[in-house]
Amino acid sequence: MPGYVVAGCLDLMGVQTLVSDDLEIIRRVLHGEVDRFAELIVRYQQHVTRIANRHVPSDRVAEVAHDVFVRAYTSLSSFSGQTPFEHWLSGVAVRTCYDFWRARRREELPVSALTTEHQAWMDHVLAAESDDQFREQARRQEAAELLQWALGHLSAENRLVLTLVHLDGYSVREAAGLLGWSVVNVKVRAHRARQMLRTLLLERKRQEDDTTQ
Amino acid sequence: MTRLNDEHLKKVERALTEAHRSRQEPSLGADWTLRVMRDIRREAAGQGQSMITLGLERLVWRTAAVAAVLALVFTGSVLFYINQDAVELTALLSNEVDVMVPLSE
Repeated sequence: MPGYVVAGCLDLMGVQTLVSDDLEIIRRVLHGEVDRFAELIVRYQQHVTRIANRHVPSDRVAEVAHDVFVRAYTSLSSFSGQTPFEHWLSGVAVRTCYDFWRARRREELPVSALTTEHQAWMDHVLAAESDDQFREQARRQEAAELLQWALGHLSAENRLVLTLVHLDGYSVREAAGLLGWSVVNVKVRAHRARQMLRTLLLERKRQEDDTTQ
Repeated sequence: MTRLNDEHLKKVERALTEAHRSRQEPSLGADWTLRVMRDIRREAAGQGQSMITLGLERLVWRTAAVAAVLALVFTGSVLFYINQDAVELTALLSNEVDVMVPLSE
């Protein structure tokens, strides 16, 4: 048997062991062994942190990840076990991030302003000729801040769908599954949110051009 | 200075996507898991309390449902027997009238 087939089988066995192990831990937690939930936290905290980090500001990731696990615990009885726990937990994480932005919109926090450096960044990106130059620009702080500025102008729904579908690269169906929304809803929102992002970038560029002229 | 066309927009979008994917993951801190577990234990204790309340509530509602069914059966049977008595009384009275008629003749 070829080595890669053996490695594949071992990987599959490892995943299956993990899934059945998760189910056993969940069963015990539901029967009152609350402390066993810590094993799930240790196992999946990196996964949850990664999701939260893509949706909320870095300084709020720990708080959101905390909420995700508390929420996962309180709704653990609704976990059917038909999908892996990791997948179910991803849905909980995404919906917690959505609630974070909904609550934040109610607070009506001001969107951070852009400086001339952010405005110049777009020109640098467009002027980048090699892949290395392009990546270097993409890694700059201005890129992340411009993205946050643009996302800050979107509703919680549009923000989340845009992040999942266009930035994270999930399919519309996968995003719909994570959010618990219909495929059509996600599809329409993904299209609309992308158009909004483009309009924001165009307007920003136009304003910048007007001020420099 | 560049006017943005569709190609330019796509390039900026690609750069933003790259920026999004290359975000540094923050560390959660040493006692983060402990704090989460503390809140979960608190939730569990709260759930235990609410389970007792929920159990009592269920018992009250089930008892109420059984009492309502019993009351219905009792009312139904009372109505049924009253009707039967009324029929019997009518029959008895009509019988008595029938019996009395020849006497007056």
